[in-house]
Amino acid sequence: MNLRKAWKKIIGAAAAACLLTGIAGAGFAAEAEKKMVIGDTTFNSENWEETIDPHTTYNGWPCIRYGVGETLVHYTDSMEIEPWLAKSWENVDELTWKITLQDGVTFSSGRAMDAESVKQCLEHLIETHDRAPGDLMIESIDADGQELIIHTSEPRPALLNYLGDPYGCIIDVDASDFETGVVVGTGPYIAVDMVTDDHLTLVKNPNYWNGEPKLDELTIRTISDGNTLAMALQSGEIDAAYGMAYESYPLFENPAYQFSSIATSRAFFGWMNFESPIIQDPAVRKAIAMGIDKESFVAVLLEGHGSVGNGAFPEGLGGFGGENVTTETFDPEGAKALLEEAGWTDSDGDGIRDKDGQKLLIRWLTYPSRQELPLLAESAQATLKEIGIEVEINCTASRRTFLEDPSAWDIYASAQVNAPTGDPEYFFTVGCLDASASNFGHYHSDALEELEAQMKEEFDPAKRAELAIAMQQTILDDNAYVFCSFLEMNQISKAEVTGYTAHACDYYQVTADLDIQR
Amino acid sequence: MNRSDIPVRKQKIRRDTTKLRLIVFGTLAGLLILCSIFSKYLCPYDPYLQDLSIAKAPPGSAHLFGTDRYGRDMLSRVIIGSRTSIFSTLLLVAIITVTGTLIGVLCGWHGKKLDTILMRISDIFLAFPGLVFALAVAGVLGGGLHNAIIALAAISWPKYARIARSQTLAQKETTYLQAAVLSGSSTGKIIIRHLIPNIIGPILVTAMLDIGTMMMELAGLSFLGLGAKPPMAEWGSMMSDSRSMMATLPWITFAPGLAIFISVMVFNLLGDTIRDYADPKARGR
Repeated sequence: MNLRKAWKKIIGAAAAACLLTGIAGAGFAAEAEKKMVIGDTTFNSENWEETIDPHTTYNGWPCIRYGVGETLVHYTDSMEIEPWLAKSWENVDELTWKITLQDGVTFSSGRAMDAESVKQCLEHLIETHDRAPGDLMIESIDADGQELIIHTSEPRPALLNYLGDPYGCIIDVDASDFETGVVVGTGPYIAVDMVTDDHLTLVKNPNYWNGEPKLDELTIRTISDGNTLAMALQSGEIDAAYGMAYESYPLFENPAYQFSSIATSRAFFGWMNFESPIIQDPAVRKAIAMGIDKESFVAVLLEGHGSVGNGAFPEGLGGFGGENVTTETFDPEGAKALLEEAGWTDSDGDGIRDKDGQKLLIRWLTYPSRQELPLLAESAQATLKEIGIEVEINCTASRRTFLEDPSAWDIYASAQVNAPTGDPEYFFTVGCLDASASNFGHYHSDALEELEAQMKEEFDPAKRAELAIAMQQTILDDNAYVFCSFLEMNQISKAEVTGYTAHACDYYQVTADLDIQR
Repeated sequence: MNRSDIPVRKQKIRRDTTKLRLIVFGTLAGLLILCSIFSKYLCPYDPYLQDLSIAKAPPGSAHLFGTDRYGRDMLSRVIIGSRTSIFSTLLLVAIITVTGTLIGVLCGWHGKKLDTILMRISDIFLAFPGLVFALAVAGVLGGGLHNAIIALAAISWPKYARIARSQTLAQKETTYLQAAVLSGSSTGKIIIRHLIPNIIGPILVTAMLDIGTMMMELAGLSFLGLGAKPPMAEWGSMMSDSRSMMATLPWITFAPGLAIFISVMVFNLLGDTIRDYADPKARGR
């Protein structure tokens, strides 16, 4: 009996002690350190964002998004380039660029950012990255103090634009750990801990060159499920959210939260797979383009948070926007007639067309971490069924496995930023050309290759815009890509948060301005 | 002696309501099955027809349960979904009952090595937590309702095999079966004519009780995206589709949720009642 009493006391005392230290600890922490948590649906391997190493696939996006890395140039809200780590630049001749770097910038490792370190970084980038070598065409780099001279093998009019891509984050190659993907940059925050698909912990960079970061600790939490993200923000587990589903917006349309929204060039669009026999039929591609009700998708399913897509770029962008091209509009009757003419008839009366014993069945590959994509898939499934095309949806987080196998899909619907560098060439070099690293559908067009050859060497922005229009029209005439809509991006945060602003390029999320009032 | 001192039984003898309950729940279950058979004719609208102009309409006279985000009538989808949900469940339970019983009888009757091997296999299956194992199987097979049924069947048969085996072992020692053996009946005839009719009672009761559980598990797999694929109307996947709108447009989740609740409850109560009915000693407890 005594023993039991003694135990009770011990347990009671221990519990009280825990409680007290817990309370005290929390109190101290709130006073001493300013912490913030951001929830993000897209920071995961599903989106080629396993780490923050900019020299691997799309891993540069989280690197720049979360304030670890910075690039030589910065984009303005209208997607024009302005100085960032580079103070100024000069196009010496067609093949030579002289870039002057900012003075007084240090990496978070303590090393000064000089031309030598930038040269080392860019050389490592070209050695390891998949897209960068083709984009930049760098032949050699000379470094002298804060002056960097880049020689390209071919004229690269958009070189600086490409260097503003997240893969162009300037990192300290010697101090970075490429094994784990934790790199050392010049940004306002330093990565200290990272678990892929789970979280990234950042701390303040006390020696930041461009103002003092306001937070002591910042955690980026990967929450791939939109519903969980909404609940996490409601419960206060996170302070800000990226990638919220539109349906959850009403929960946050009150004074306790704030929205930062901006129109982006992130397009929801379908890639046709030219390895698939059904898709090789131009009538089928055209019918699909005519069978998607883009207007209703934007108005109802996106609740107006976006704009209808015409070409690869949103209307009004840089003189090469969607208003300059023409494409199919929603026309179910026209699509029916077209398919009928091409020999696709419903011979067995099941509502699905067929030809030579083959059903008109389209395998639609998409993924769930962009909340709008499953909606697009199901909406297209219904409208295409009307015209006699059956759509089988494969909405999977492991889309990358499927993409590698061209026999596993017919259309791949994705959400991609088409002009992240403000220059139109990017979109085509990424996924439309023979040399593209992500030409998933193996699309080939002689006309497009021809235009790209001109684009590559064209320095005049007006001429580039003209070429971009012609290139878009080429892929639209082939119906190789179907552009459905452009995202209006919204970042939602608690009212206490300041400086959490959405940017048109979709990658400056965390800056030195980010703050939270506790 | 005072009148009040005489001990009287104060507690009423409760009427045995088993039969009444059996009729009531049997009818309800029958109605549900009828509803799923004739679901095609009961739907007020085409459950697959999207009409974005009436998307997310709240419950009203035109759409009793409202419409979903694609403007599809929720009532029609719940009704047509009953076919998928109830039929697949019944099919699943039938598969596991038959397979499990056959294996169990085989083990019990044959004994020896076969018994040891099959029972150890069933032990392996029983060692895993049910739904987790089903998730793994469904994950490997890929999505789709068929695969979900296969996954659940693969993990659920051992229970029936065990019951059938123990019953068979018990019955094997009875005089009537020994008499049947002595009279020279073939093994097949003994098993089908004599053994199975005598052991089927507890197995059927277990099967009835399992319908509710299986319905939940099937809906669970669909909810997780491993069962029915869009646009197929299935209660679990309908709930999953609309869960992001639970806080803003609750009726869209409510309709399939209610359907699952009602049918699981009806089949569970029916199973309970059948158990009571089959076991008079337990009645009224």
